[in-house]
Amino acid sequence: MSDPVLLTLLLAAATFCVRFLGVVIGQHLPTSGPWTRALNALPGCLIVSLVAVILSSGGINEWTGAIAALIVAVLTRNLPITMIAGIFVVWAMRTFT
Amino acid sequence: MKSHWYKDFFFGVKSIIPLAIGVGMYGLAFGLLASQAGFSWTNIGMMGALVFAGSAQIVAVERIIAGATVFTAFIAGLALNLRLILITASIRDLFAARPLWQRALGAHLSSDENWALTLAKRSEGFNVGYWFLVGSGFTIMLVWIAAGILGVIFSSYIPDPATYAIDFAFTAAFIAISRSLWRGKKDLLPWLISIAVVMISTRLQLFDSSWSIVAGGLAGAATASFTRDV
Repeated sequence: MSDPVLLTLLLAAATFCVRFLGVVIGQHLPTSGPWTRALNALPGCLIVSLVAVILSSGGINEWTGAIAALIVAVLTRNLPITMIAGIFVVWAMRTFT
Repeated sequence: MKSHWYKDFFFGVKSIIPLAIGVGMYGLAFGLLASQAGFSWTNIGMMGALVFAGSAQIVAVERIIAGATVFTAFIAGLALNLRLILITASIRDLFAARPLWQRALGAHLSSDENWALTLAKRSEGFNVGYWFLVGSGFTIMLVWIAAGILGVIFSSYIPDPATYAIDFAFTAAFIAISRSLWRGKKDLLPWLISIAVVMISTRLQLFDSSWSIVAGGLAGAATASFTRDV
């Protein structure tokens, strides 16, 4: 078996197990009380963690872009407009500063 | 809730388009990278369909190019994917009362982008569910595969995503989505704890950044579990 095929099969099997394990765990946790409060809060916490990890390796350009994107997001609540604003600011910062 | 599953499905297809454009850009870059690691276009198509985890695929292939063994590359990719446990666990109501094949399909099609979009649409008041996740996931999978294959074929013409700040597309998208997920004051403390855990752990280099995401998410969720306000 070639390396690309072997890598694909290993990663595919393990990744599917990880995803499905999450489904199984989710079904077995209680549906009220602290576990539910935690699970309901989890998506937002994961997303801000993801953004924080990306920005932790970024510089002034990315931080400026992130602040611009946040302002546009709060004002418009619109996904494409926020993406365009963020990309434009980062591009402008990288090109002109 | 059996009525009009296809409406939900195609609403997912339509709503994911801005994110799918970003996925397409990364797919091209991935195809270019994978061709340097000796992947054929069929290898790339197969990997996109079976693994369907962009960042893990990029990291694993990059390890191969750096001279690592298949096993080392596999572990690097897998470590990046551990957050998917939390992603699929957090949308448990979408999977409740679904047959096994639908749970398996939905789990496989769950990625950062369509998972977050599904939750964001719900917070905005849309009654979207399982088929929205599947429709939007299926769309980005097709785009990811097609772009990867194009990236191999046209490898000499692909610019670096950083040239046009396309690398910032997902950061901006996730900021927009976190705005939609904001549930009011009760989220403030959990979110600050998440951010603090990530910033401290990456600053002190406590562990790999993929673990920082998991630690930040769990710390914030644990904080929320102690609050009284539901």
